[in-house]
Amino acid sequence: MSAPHRRTLSRAGRRRLAGIAMTSPALAMITLFFFVPLVMMLWMSLHDWPLLGEHHFTGLKNYREALHDTEFRTAVIFTVKYTLITTPVLFVLGLAMALLVRHKRRGARFFQAVYFLPVVVGLASAAFLWLFMFQSDIGPAGDLADHLGLGSRTTNWFAGSTSAMLVVIGMVTWKIVGLQMLLLLTGLRSIPTDAEEAARIDGASRLQTFRYVILPLLRPTLALVLVFSVAGSLLAFDQFYVMTGGGPSNSTITAVYEIYRASFIKFQLGYGSALSALLMIVLAAVSAIQMLLLRSSDH
Amino acid sequence: MRTRTTAASALLMSVALLATACGGSGSNTSGSGSGTITLWARDSQKGFINILADAWNKDHDTKVKATVVPVANFVQKFGTAAAGGSGPDVASIDLVYLPYFASTGVLDDITDLANKLPYKDGLSAAHRKLATYNGRTYALPFTAEASVLFYNKDLFRKAGLDPDKPPANYAEIISAAKKIRALGKDIHGYAIAGQCGGCEIFEFTPHIWASGGDVLSADGKKALFDTPEVTDALTFYRKLYTDGSMPTQSKTDTGTNQPAAFQSGKLGMTPLGAFFVQVLKKDKKVDFGVAPLPGRNGGSASFAGGDEIAVTKNAKNKAQAHEFVRWATGEQAQTILAENSIVPVRTDLIDKIYTPLDPRYKVLAAAMEKGRTPYSTVENALFNDNNGPWVNMINRAVFDGDIAKAQQEGQKAAQSIIDDAS
Amino acid sequence: MSTRTARTRDPGTRPVETDSRNLVTAIRQSLPRAAWWAVCVCLAVLFLYPLYVMLSQSLKAPGEAAAAPPTLYPHELSLNNFRALDGDTGIDIVAGAGNSLLVSLGATLATVVLSTVAGYGFARLRFPGSDILFFATLATFMIPFQAVITPLYLLLNNLGLQNSLLGLAAVYTTFQLPFGLFLMRNSFAAVPRSLEEAALIDGCGILKAMVRVVLPVAVPGLITTALLTFFACWNEFFAALILISDQEKFTLPVSLSVLASGNLGSVDWGVLQAGVAVTIVPCVVIYLLLQKYYVGGLLSGAVK
Repeated sequence: MSAPHRRTLSRAGRRRLAGIAMTSPALAMITLFFFVPLVMMLWMSLHDWPLLGEHHFTGLKNYREALHDTEFRTAVIFTVKYTLITTPVLFVLGLAMALLVRHKRRGARFFQAVYFLPVVVGLASAAFLWLFMFQSDIGPAGDLADHLGLGSRTTNWFAGSTSAMLVVIGMVTWKIVGLQMLLLLTGLRSIPTDAEEAARIDGASRLQTFRYVILPLLRPTLALVLVFSVAGSLLAFDQFYVMTGGGPSNSTITAVYEIYRASFIKFQLGYGSALSALLMIVLAAVSAIQMLLLRSSDH
Repeated sequence: MRTRTTAASALLMSVALLATACGGSGSNTSGSGSGTITLWARDSQKGFINILADAWNKDHDTKVKATVVPVANFVQKFGTAAAGGSGPDVASIDLVYLPYFASTGVLDDITDLANKLPYKDGLSAAHRKLATYNGRTYALPFTAEASVLFYNKDLFRKAGLDPDKPPANYAEIISAAKKIRALGKDIHGYAIAGQCGGCEIFEFTPHIWASGGDVLSADGKKALFDTPEVTDALTFYRKLYTDGSMPTQSKTDTGTNQPAAFQSGKLGMTPLGAFFVQVLKKDKKVDFGVAPLPGRNGGSASFAGGDEIAVTKNAKNKAQAHEFVRWATGEQAQTILAENSIVPVRTDLIDKIYTPLDPRYKVLAAAMEKGRTPYSTVENALFNDNNGPWVNMINRAVFDGDIAKAQQEGQKAAQSIIDDAS
Repeated sequence: MSTRTARTRDPGTRPVETDSRNLVTAIRQSLPRAAWWAVCVCLAVLFLYPLYVMLSQSLKAPGEAAAAPPTLYPHELSLNNFRALDGDTGIDIVAGAGNSLLVSLGATLATVVLSTVAGYGFARLRFPGSDILFFATLATFMIPFQAVITPLYLLLNNLGLQNSLLGLAAVYTTFQLPFGLFLMRNSFAAVPRSLEEAALIDGCGILKAMVRVVLPVAVPGLITTALLTFFACWNEFFAALILISDQEKFTLPVSLSVLASGNLGSVDWGVLQAGVAVTIVPCVVIYLLLQKYYVGGLLSGAVK
């Protein structure tokens, strides 16, 4: 081998080594605090593992129990119900708002910023805020409803499972819809204006243009927005922990809430891990669908 | 200051080692005599725990350092810390959790210490029972609480009721609540904390006991949620609700609305604990009375609440920790508690240090002396959990109305928690 | 479709415009505009209302803050609710804010450094298996951290990092890293290779080339990573609730939950809203100042 060739080889080798050295801290971190717990979770889920005291291997018993656990089933059903309501609400409102502010006219940017503002608010803080707004007697929202003749300020919104869920959905909508709007807005902007103009010039009505031109071209963004809200809703915890405490009568306990209860209220870490594993599978499936949808729409 | 005592104790240690001619294992070097005893208490004890610590620190070389832990997460936090060795030397623990912690082996066995106390029979019986696991003692009684009925004397007068004759059975409470409710749109007769496990076990169970029933079998192995006495008590609450005597907040109250409503003077009656006397006295707004919680046809009972004080198994400073828990049950410490409106656990001292402070304390002292507490290693999951079977049964029976079904499902859920644990 | 509708595009059918028609058209054109403004303003009011409630409630005097029915605006402006944040209610919110700040800044710093260094490695210094490893880190996107919280709790306990702000910061860093890596790798990948080659030929080492030449170009990505990490940590609730036991080490959102649980008494809603304001206002201010990076980052993270 000639000398210069050897030198480039060694430079490539140095670069490889540097690459390994530079990526390893981050990889070590992710391994220690993510992959290790992940394996631990699967391992623990095969055990009877109380917080204090001895743990012993029980095989798939935790999973069998989970399938027959009525509390967990109720929680899963509620989570799905919550997701099925939240997702279309967020989607329709987000899209409507995106269409509203997409034109470059005076004020549009301002309204965009205003609608997006709650997105930067934390979910827990937003929940504390709305918890107060909807308190009976002292809550400003109930008071406002009273002034407008829409309701009574003495109504306890959190006493009915439906009304409690609606207040939570209201809060989540307020906090999240701006993000959905923004994502859809970006999707809309990426549609070539001539496609839309051509359709309009061809005499298509606004509705037709929307239905046959905009919507198909928006598909990748739509998929993304939907998966965002589905995954987010399936993982709901903060808002229910803060606002309803799972009540009334345990009717607003979500899947993550049930994991929290299994591990940190009942101290059955093994069982909590089994529930976590089940949740992980569902979420991984949702994410996989997201990837598939996005990939197929790339072409 | 702290480094100085540590250095001194290190010196002492080396002298001691020399004296024993380097015998022994030499372990436990951080042990006796060194700087501080760490003490964990619930945040609700914030008011007096530091006063108590100061009193100890004044005439002891070893200092007590108190840390306050939020009550909502106490079990989880203390459990893991104790198991992981990062726990305190001493912990003040809600007595209902004692069987659980004793059964998991995180507490030090202090049977000998407890038996040697000259006043051991004068300590609250309920506390002593809860501190015992498999015949051994794991904690000493520390503070007492008792559930009683608070009533607003002004509203009683306005409703034409005798303020010196509080209701003494279910029917009387129901009718008094109704009369008070009739006083105004925003005035209610009776409030509960319907989404608070700790409140419901404390405030609702006495009705069942006073009527001759119970919620658990004596050995804690069987749930008794579907017994007729429970049905009666649920029916009683249900009636208060359907009469409109109960505010709608009661259904979702996690324990914050109920005292506030009584403090506002717009609530006729509510079951609460001794701590509330102090709150109301400080307020000076409501003219209130205190009465025992009655059974269906009279009689009365109370939930013996409060804390026990325990040394942890991994305590770094065990000898001093033992000394501290003994001191905490002594006259000086118990008097400090009484002065801070905490019911003392010494029945032999209570007439001397507590009842003279307020005429209403008599009812509380009597309630404490005959108070009961359910014994279970899974108390938290059964009763105190705000989403547990106890709260869920009461909530559904009282506010949704299908009492039989709520009881049946509650019984099933509770029994399965007990069975899972054994 | 265009052929089907082509028929309707016949200029002959367009009416000749007259003055009166002009007026009608003008009205017709301005009507939707007015309607647009009306709808937008109504929505804006709806979106700003909760923030107004927060501010007005927190600025009321304590007595007024507990009033039923509530007052529509503070009749007497008072900072007492904010003054009570330092522990009057039994929980020190100011200390909580300090803890949150510490954890968030720590996690942000760690995330930025780690993801910059590793992002460069993944983008430019390929080694056998680097793509697989990068993909593996992305796979963490698919698994919610809520799912591993139970073993994480145990793991931290064994490492002596449970109930420690350092442990919490480490956990936050880990869960922000994949996104940071992704963002930084893309930022570096977008830098023209020739720029770096030139630096290398000039005799710079790999690190020097990265810091001097490539990093400046990647600064927007860096700011975005920092911003998003900070927001996520500052607002995080679930992990902080579980992993921290000691009240003195609680982060801001968890402190608020103690305040809202009312500690054997009633909830002080004025102080609670003051606490909420302390949590929310910094986020809003940072967002307004650095909107470009925040929004841009969210989009690049989501769309790619």
